[in-house]
Amino acid sequence: MTLPVVVIGLSHKTAPVEVRERFASGPDVLPEVLARLTARKEIDEAMFLSTCNRVEVIGLPKIAGSHEESVQRASRAIREALRDHIGASSVEELREWLYERSGEDAVRHVFRVAASLDSMVLGEPQILGQVKDAYEAAVAAGALRSHLSRCVRRAFTVAKRVRTETQLGAGMVSISSVAVDLAKRIFGDLRDRTVLLVGAGEMAEAAARSLGQQAKAVRICNRSFERAASLAAHFGATAAPLDQLESELLISDVVVASTSSKSYVITRDLVKRVMKQRKGRTLFFIDIAVPRNVDPQIHEQIDNAYVYNVDDLEHEVAENMKSRQKEVAAAEKIVEAELAEWVKWARGLNVNPTIVALRAKTKGVLVAELERTLGTRLKHLGEGERAALAQMIESATNKLLHAPTTRLREAAGESDGNDLVRAVQHLFDLPAPAAQEEEPAKVAGKASAGESEERLAN
Amino acid sequence: MSEGIADALFYLTVATYVAASVLFLRFLTRGKGDVGVLGPRLIGAGALLHAGHIVIASLVLRRCPVEGIHFPMSVASMSMCVAYVLARKRYRIEVAGAFVAPLALTSLLASRFVGGGEEPGARIKSAILPFHVATNLFGVALFTLAFSAAALYLIQERLLKRKRIDGVFKRLPPLDVLDRAEHRFLVAGFPLLTIGIVTGTLWARHVEMGAPGEVLRAVFGYVTWLVIAGVLFLRAAAGWRGRRAAYGTIAGYAFSLVVLMIYLLRAPQPSAAVADEVEAPATAALALGSAEASSTP
Repeated sequence: MTLPVVVIGLSHKTAPVEVRERFASGPDVLPEVLARLTARKEIDEAMFLSTCNRVEVIGLPKIAGSHEESVQRASRAIREALRDHIGASSVEELREWLYERSGEDAVRHVFRVAASLDSMVLGEPQILGQVKDAYEAAVAAGALRSHLSRCVRRAFTVAKRVRTETQLGAGMVSISSVAVDLAKRIFGDLRDRTVLLVGAGEMAEAAARSLGQQAKAVRICNRSFERAASLAAHFGATAAPLDQLESELLISDVVVASTSSKSYVITRDLVKRVMKQRKGRTLFFIDIAVPRNVDPQIHEQIDNAYVYNVDDLEHEVAENMKSRQKEVAAAEKIVEAELAEWVKWARGLNVNPTIVALRAKTKGVLVAELERTLGTRLKHLGEGERAALAQMIESATNKLLHAPTTRLREAAGESDGNDLVRAVQHLFDLPAPAAQEEEPAKVAGKASAGESEERLAN
Repeated sequence: MSEGIADALFYLTVATYVAASVLFLRFLTRGKGDVGVLGPRLIGAGALLHAGHIVIASLVLRRCPVEGIHFPMSVASMSMCVAYVLARKRYRIEVAGAFVAPLALTSLLASRFVGGGEEPGARIKSAILPFHVATNLFGVALFTLAFSAAALYLIQERLLKRKRIDGVFKRLPPLDVLDRAEHRFLVAGFPLLTIGIVTGTLWARHVEMGAPGEVLRAVFGYVTWLVIAGVLFLRAAAGWRGRRAAYGTIAGYAFSLVVLMIYLLRAPQPSAAVADEVEAPATAALALGSAEASSTP
């Protein structure tokens, strides 16, 4: 049995943007969300990932009873935490939007998310940074400590392998580049058009990169003028404070909004006023923020103004993704190979305590017998001879336990692995492994062997 | 011999316009075919054949091609095709051929097969008449292009508002390109229409016509002018762009079509027939290809 990791969340595949934005959380509320999760006695470790296309909780249940029961309890706890997070009246209200994975499927999902195989834009680089941010926040909050932390770190390795060993991230396809294509289909050519970026984060930077070379001018409007100015300097754009948004809208044709604001930055009334002054000139909004920045009523109610959000671009992105399907197959192979390694390691968690205990017991017996002899008949032996005997005990332990250790490790991946573990525990009178953890056990094992060796040397 | 050539050119023109229409419609509905190169070439070839037909037919009939209504309709549809071929690259509106080709075809067929009105007799002939007809028909040719751009704009705008940005949306020109093209065709056609209206008014005074059909035709002519003038004025003054401008353009074009229909379907006028008894009673159908027409004394 592998580790019972649980993933519960929603993404662009299961919920529209108006639902996702209710769950989305910025870095400011992340500690609160993590505290809510770790306060639950059913959850041992947890991480909260919130991006524009997904919100999910990755959790490791506290083991009490069978793994299945632990997973069920943790699942319920996560759903209740999500319910409280959005202020919903019941867990049932969330059911239609949420997906759930557990065990190997959950770990595969985490690997695929980090490797950008579950993203709207396959191979986009931002997701890895977002997963890393979520990981660091969880570690800082003390919500990630041991096995789940290792799982997420392994996901980083998978992502790096996919990036370096496949061409999945090659080319210019991104939400921003797709948005540029759409803008071109409205305006024909962007060379005589002005693009306004509202927000100066990572997405705005990507948009500036895509649009910078094609538009007549790029303007950046941000709450923090310093950040806008810094980005503008980098891309040869013009910066403006957010309170000048109305005048900026007057002179712009394409607006890319990507702020972390929780309410609409660009409202219907604002655009209505602007359109009057623009004498009806077309204004195209690309809202890549979640929660959304641009009031969707603008699209429905105002002539010559169009608002497209991330979900609206999905089909367009899918078209662009067709050429990457070959790379997806190669990336999936990497995920499966890493998953197999992970499963092997996770299953090893069951046998490791037994192996460590067996080794400690064998060595302990041999060292104890040797010490007794050294205290009586071999009292006359010098330091060098005692060290040689200690070395002999070490070698004898290794040789004696090599075959059983190898077989136990091999059996860990098999269905009857647990039977063998129980047999060894029974035959050698070893303690039950349930309470043991791999890392502490290793430390304990090393400590006990080290103490014996010290005694032997003295 | 000449009549045979005129007939052959007529049917070849029809076949070319049909081929162009099929090509464009197939592209729009199924996304198949190359309309960027082949479509405009087919329309261009159609316009050449059409011009050949007009020249031969007018030589055979010894008739000015801008007299009457049936013959000018044929010239108008050819002019529209020529204008399309010249403008489509500059304005990137190749797909407008989807409207231009069927409209040219309809106009060509109508000029030969629809209506039984009399051609103008000596009483209503005037030096102003060819000028009046020529400016109007070139104006109509440009308005047809403006109408095509406006119709494509409305389709494109509807798809964009409904967020259906695959399929047909990708095959149509960019929204702003259509809006601009529509405006430019309208601006180009408006002076011609204005001249047509002025010359028409002068001509009507000259011949002192008062039949209900003629009054109706004049009324619709003025309405067309007012609508198009209104669209242009509101665009400049009040920012009427996009959808509103497209609806206005389509309305103006519809009124100009009404004028043409009144011309085409007018009832034979006894007074004119009496007055023109010295004039050959050549109907439009005869004028545009029938061998008998040229041999009528």
